[in-house]
Amino acid sequence: MIETLLSLRWTDYFLYVLVDPRSLYRHISQNDPKAFALSFTVPAAAAIVDILAASLFGNQTLFFFYKITYGWILLSIFYVLKNAVISTIMDASAQFQGMKGNAREMVCLINFSMFPQVFILPLTCIFVASGFAPVFFYIAVGLGLSVWSALVAIQGIAEMHRTNTGKAVFIFIFPYIVIWASLFFMTVLLFILMGGYLSS
Amino acid sequence: MEKYRRILITIMSLLVLSAVIAIIDISMNLQSGGKISFGSPQFGPGIGVVRIEGPIELSNQMGAVGLTANADAVVARLNDLERNGSVKAIVVRINSPGGTPAATQEIYQKIWKLRKKNIPIVASLGEIAASGGYYIASACNVIVSNHSTMTGSIGVIAHTPNLKRLFEKVGIDMTVIKTGRYKDMLAYYKDLTADERAIMQNMIDSTYNRFLKDVALGRNMDQTEIRPIADGRIFDGETALQLKLVDAVGTFEDAVDRARAMAKLSETSPVYDEMKSPFQQLFMGFESMMRGGNVIERSMGSIQQHPYGLEYRWMR
Repeated sequence: MIETLLSLRWTDYFLYVLVDPRSLYRHISQNDPKAFALSFTVPAAAAIVDILAASLFGNQTLFFFYKITYGWILLSIFYVLKNAVISTIMDASAQFQGMKGNAREMVCLINFSMFPQVFILPLTCIFVASGFAPVFFYIAVGLGLSVWSALVAIQGIAEMHRTNTGKAVFIFIFPYIVIWASLFFMTVLLFILMGGYLSS
Repeated sequence: MEKYRRILITIMSLLVLSAVIAIIDISMNLQSGGKISFGSPQFGPGIGVVRIEGPIELSNQMGAVGLTANADAVVARLNDLERNGSVKAIVVRINSPGGTPAATQEIYQKIWKLRKKNIPIVASLGEIAASGGYYIASACNVIVSNHSTMTGSIGVIAHTPNLKRLFEKVGIDMTVIKTGRYKDMLAYYKDLTADERAIMQNMIDSTYNRFLKDVALGRNMDQTEIRPIADGRIFDGETALQLKLVDAVGTFEDAVDRARAMAKLSETSPVYDEMKSPFQQLFMGFESMMRGGNVIERSMGSIQQHPYGLEYRWMR
């Protein structure tokens, strides 16, 4: 364990996220060093970074200490669960299209693909310090980093299933469509039920 | 490859460093309790701000987000500012139609004590600083009013609905068991007798005289100068300036600048405002919307909750 840490080979995962997402997947499939556990450090880091970046705006109360401790754990669990659910649906979507399923590697890939989002913190620090439209740039950079994360995941999926970018994009988007469509219909049905309950 | 790994470690170290800087900045923000921005951390001698919003009462009513505007909270805030070695002058931001005499006098006396300790205090009047709101302002060294501030309304009021005839019409009889003839004075189910009216008038006159005396003391004027205009009428900032009820027409920023000048502080000295997070402000806005009006409108409504008390309050 210590030897692996000192060898810095674990940094390759993060390096490939930034420079070559296709190599990232190849590295995940080789599983050397073990990628699965390491990948969960990314949602945890993204959670604390998101809390800190948002807290740089406005005055903070003592609630900040709750956010940075309990809130961080809560957000980390949320990110991990979100990634697990999304990865599972992506894997199912790939299998429906006749591709080979690999949920474990998909979870690793989606976790690592969140890595670009941690750059929101230093960039937010710079924008807030310069005082030049920090909120605008916070939102704009946040969106940009999300797109970068999506591109990492899409290229990783394309490499995983040896497919073209179009299909990889579909696999990537599919869970979001399913979740949002489900939530929309659930809301509509809930309102209809509530209306029926109140009128009857 | 080893070179790239080291570059990545450097990038990760910078990320950690930025997280540490962010935590330090936010913690500094918390400790000072002021509006400190990441770009311009503020330390040292500055201006303390205390805000008086809505009706002035001693009751410990809390809003949905736990913020109170009662006299005890204001006095506690003034005590905090007094103890804070960095606060060299105080700006009292008043946005209130007034309130109960006891609560108003508590705040007046606290400000007066601070003034006696040679702490420069400037009142900044917001939308409304009438009656008890103006009473408090008069304790400050200087009053800066907005041009359109509704101020003045020097006077005392007590009121109660008389529902006797309505009760008769509906057929309701009140059963009252009391120990003295005046125990149900100002009760809503009966007419006010001449004796009761005289007692109430004496009480109101006494409270009014105290109001007049304190305003005269605070404004360094003679009571005879104030009495002719102390008939409950309200003034805008400009008229109040002409009548010497205020010292200047200006904004909150002008009041802060005035406090800085009085405390011989630089133009960039920090302002230690009351801490209100964006979430609190957001929820305060929601709370106001849910109650169907702004703070002042709410205060007008709350008069109905205290129909028997004397009040230094402007009535619409």
